[in-house]
Amino acid sequence: MGGLEKKKYERGSATNYITRNRARKKLQLSLPDFRRLCILKGIYPHEPKHKKKVNKGSTAARTFYLLKDIKFLLHEPIVNKFREYKVFVRKLRKAYGKSEWSTVDRLKDNKPSYKLDHIVKERYPTFVDALRDLDDALSMCFLFSTFPRTGKCHVQTIQLCRRLAVEFLNYVIASRSLRKVFLSIKGIYYQAEVLGQPVTWITPYTFAHDHPTDVDYRVMATFTEFYTTLLGFVNFRLYHSLNLLYPPKIDGQADVELKPAEGKEYAMDSESYLEKLSALSASLARVVAPTHEDEVEMDEFPVEGETAEQMDARKKEQEALEKHKKLFEGLRFFLNREVPREPLAFIIRYVVGRLSLGRPATPCLPPPVTLRVPPPQWVFDSVNAKLCLPVADYFPGVLLPPHLSPFVTEQEGDYVPPEKLKLLAMQRGENPGDSEEEEEEEEEEEDENDKEEEEEEDESEKEEEMKLKKMEEQKTQSNKVTAGKLRLEDKQRLEQEQQSEEKRLAIMMMKKREKYLYKKIMFGKKRKVREANKLAAKRKAHDTAVKEEKKKSKKARRA
Amino acid sequence: MAAGSGCAALPSSRRGLALPFKMAAPAASTSFLGLSLGSRDPATVRRRSRGPRNRKKGWKRWAGPEARLGREIGDFLEDVVLQQRGKEKPLHVDLVLQPDSKVPAPNNILAHQIPNGRKEKRRRQFWEKQAEKGVLPRAERRLRARLRRGGAPPDKAPEKGRSDPERGFYDIWGADNPLDQALAGQDSWFLQQTKKQRVKRPARLQTKPSQVPAVEVIAAGGSYNPTFEDHQALLLRAHEVEVRKKRAEDKVERQLKIPEGAELPTAETVFQEQCEGLLEESGDEEDEEAPAAPAEPGDAPKPAPRQEKKTEQQRRREKEARALVRGRRRRVAGRQQELFRLRSLRRQVKRWEAELLRRRQARLAKRRAKDALPRRLGPLKYEEPSLEVQLSDELAESLRTLKPEGSVLRDRFKSLQKRSLIEPRERAKFKRRYRLKYVEKRAFREVT
Repeated sequence: MGGLEKKKYERGSATNYITRNRARKKLQLSLPDFRRLCILKGIYPHEPKHKKKVNKGSTAARTFYLLKDIKFLLHEPIVNKFREYKVFVRKLRKAYGKSEWSTVDRLKDNKPSYKLDHIVKERYPTFVDALRDLDDALSMCFLFSTFPRTGKCHVQTIQLCRRLAVEFLNYVIASRSLRKVFLSIKGIYYQAEVLGQPVTWITPYTFAHDHPTDVDYRVMATFTEFYTTLLGFVNFRLYHSLNLLYPPKIDGQADVELKPAEGKEYAMDSESYLEKLSALSASLARVVAPTHEDEVEMDEFPVEGETAEQMDARKKEQEALEKHKKLFEGLRFFLNREVPREPLAFIIRYVVGRLSLGRPATPCLPPPVTLRVPPPQWVFDSVNAKLCLPVADYFPGVLLPPHLSPFVTEQEGDYVPPEKLKLLAMQRGENPGDSEEEEEEEEEEEDENDKEEEEEEDESEKEEEMKLKKMEEQKTQSNKVTAGKLRLEDKQRLEQEQQSEEKRLAIMMMKKREKYLYKKIMFGKKRKVREANKLAAKRKAHDTAVKEEKKKSKKARRA
Repeated sequence: MAAGSGCAALPSSRRGLALPFKMAAPAASTSFLGLSLGSRDPATVRRRSRGPRNRKKGWKRWAGPEARLGREIGDFLEDVVLQQRGKEKPLHVDLVLQPDSKVPAPNNILAHQIPNGRKEKRRRQFWEKQAEKGVLPRAERRLRARLRRGGAPPDKAPEKGRSDPERGFYDIWGADNPLDQALAGQDSWFLQQTKKQRVKRPARLQTKPSQVPAVEVIAAGGSYNPTFEDHQALLLRAHEVEVRKKRAEDKVERQLKIPEGAELPTAETVFQEQCEGLLEESGDEEDEEAPAAPAEPGDAPKPAPRQEKKTEQQRRREKEARALVRGRRRRVAGRQQELFRLRSLRRQVKRWEAELLRRRQARLAKRRAKDALPRRLGPLKYEEPSLEVQLSDELAESLRTLKPEGSVLRDRFKSLQKRSLIEPRERAKFKRRYRLKYVEKRAFREVT
């Protein structure tokens, strides 16, 4: 055979990928350093489509990286810093071993360090890109700020995370961009809208205390280092978009407050400043003194291509937002000691009440106008519903209404719990008081008769009969005075009937295969409805059980 | 060297001289021998050893001011006597210590010579001349510069890195950020060649490996105070997971179970099975007969094959000819018939194309579904985290009594794995390099 033979695994996908160990050797780094570099630069391992080709015939599960990615890593200046750090560690260890303490001090003073600014700029060339990755960054920063400062992770990282978290919360308060809050068993989920981008993050409860052992702390610490840098830059930009000073300064008596009273300092200046900021109870200083911004109407710029409907919708949204910003104006909140302070402080300050700590019944304070002691869930639910909910439901002693998730959007046919229905009704502006009264009257009647289900069925049947009768009457009596209404109703009903007839015709005309598919789809849909009905029946059963228990207890009390 | 008490310290020549006043005191005692009523027999008396010899008292006797004075006086007097009397006969001790070799002791030239003396002298003179001109050696210059500077500079603050809690930030996306300002205004070719400009990041790294959102909110039943229905739905999901696990376990157990009523093989049955077919003899005879028979008919029809071959060949040729003709006719007829079969042919082609399209779409759908799953990046598979759900009796009544379920740290870690940003890892196990050896202690060995 003449000519050069094509050998296997010399071209194509086998040469595009490289295993992790080979890559590490090419970069001349240790494994933890290599991992750290990949995390910082955003280089992820790839799963090749044809593992056998890439792995040269074997199917052993290996970690593969793209060769071009590793070649890109070779140009990174941080790699040199890693090597310098390795040398530094070696020298330090030698000096320790020889007990040369002056050398140790000198080495520690000249410890090599590096910054990640250029990597942030490289990975997120525009500000919007950075906002898209803000979810992860916020979650990690808030998580690390709740860690204890025992030294397992660098204490500096924890302090930096705390500072950035507090700054971001202050920004959210100042820009009123919080949209949803959800208290779950895992933690608290927040969603804010930052420059048009929805940002969701989770905060753990501060009283949670578990340290899972199957989590790699070094990997998480590396992610956090990168995300703290990113969040710092994002904070700077966000503050400047609101014309606030960065690093943030408390408005007003900034200098006076920071100076310690009586010349005695019992906390560092920086620490006390951070504590004041994290109290979230003061407004931030602005770069330029703001002019009176209230009651300024938005200019209407007619956008091309927008119909009148869309403009109306936008106007409504704006009004809703402004209403939302003035939810709890004028109210004063008192926080009890047992309540988790920070999330509540954040929410209340967000909603612009005036915040103070302590019990309401202190003699030195003037008696408040409205003395209410609702549990914290009331505030969260109000923020979610964008309404000031009636406090009567939330008093202690009464069973708390459930905390609904604002992240769940019900689709057609799904089961909607009655609490949510009530909320929607309240949002629309209907008064739920009437429906409650009606329900109570019905309950009393049922209590007397003890024939609940039958009565309901009878009632529903009666209603249907009434409806049918009405229809018949209207059809026959077309010449009466109520002609106008009749025609409207007729038209609507006619349209509906036409549509349903067309649908039936189309179904008849379908081919057998298509009909089969259509039947399958309808079966699936109907299944959903059936499940919703099942849940409703369960709910009914639960409610009746509760009612019966109440009745029994009442009877026992009377007797 | 003289030692001991004052009397014995003096050389013999001085005994006749008048002793210093202190030494005269013990001689003037009342009795003849210096013994009084209470003193002991001198023969049996023993110098009481009061502790170690190098005590303060002993030191004072030797190093104290009186002893020193005494020694000085003694030396002075010796010199005076020597001067008066002239040279005496030297002591035997001194004679013995004199060197008696004819070879003279080597000279210690260092006592009167400096090595490199001339060179050093020349160097000193040279630097003196330079100093007159105003030129100083390097070490001097540096010392003076350091003094001028005011001693060592104050401790420079250690360079703070990426985790400094007080670090400042700037507008990195603005037009004038410090990162780009260093390279501003220079030629891009120059910057690229001197490796001052950073290499451009490839566009394929801008896309994320997975479209799963970064923070997945828990279902509505995970609220700390959920509605009845949502909580039931979540419990149902957890229940289904458990049921599936239980079913898998049961399946394995079922497969391993020995069916009831089945007889376990005993040693006898196993032996019988192994012996089957070994001891039968009728089977061997039949085998011997069979190969003998086909050998015979091979010889007889030898003359006949010539004719049969030819006829066979003829037959074959005729067959082929007939088949050719038939095939031609059939093809012609078939072409005509195909015209009438166009519609069904079209239908067949369409069906085949539809089938191919369906297969292609199935493949695409499979690939898209695989993209949504976490990638297999290493030896370990990704494991879904268990659902966080609190049972009905564990639900908290108020925020105060809430006990959090699950850990946000673990949730974040698993989310990173799910989005294929890191490969699933487990904690490194401790592997022993060498096997442990157990040794009993001797006493223990005797007991057991």
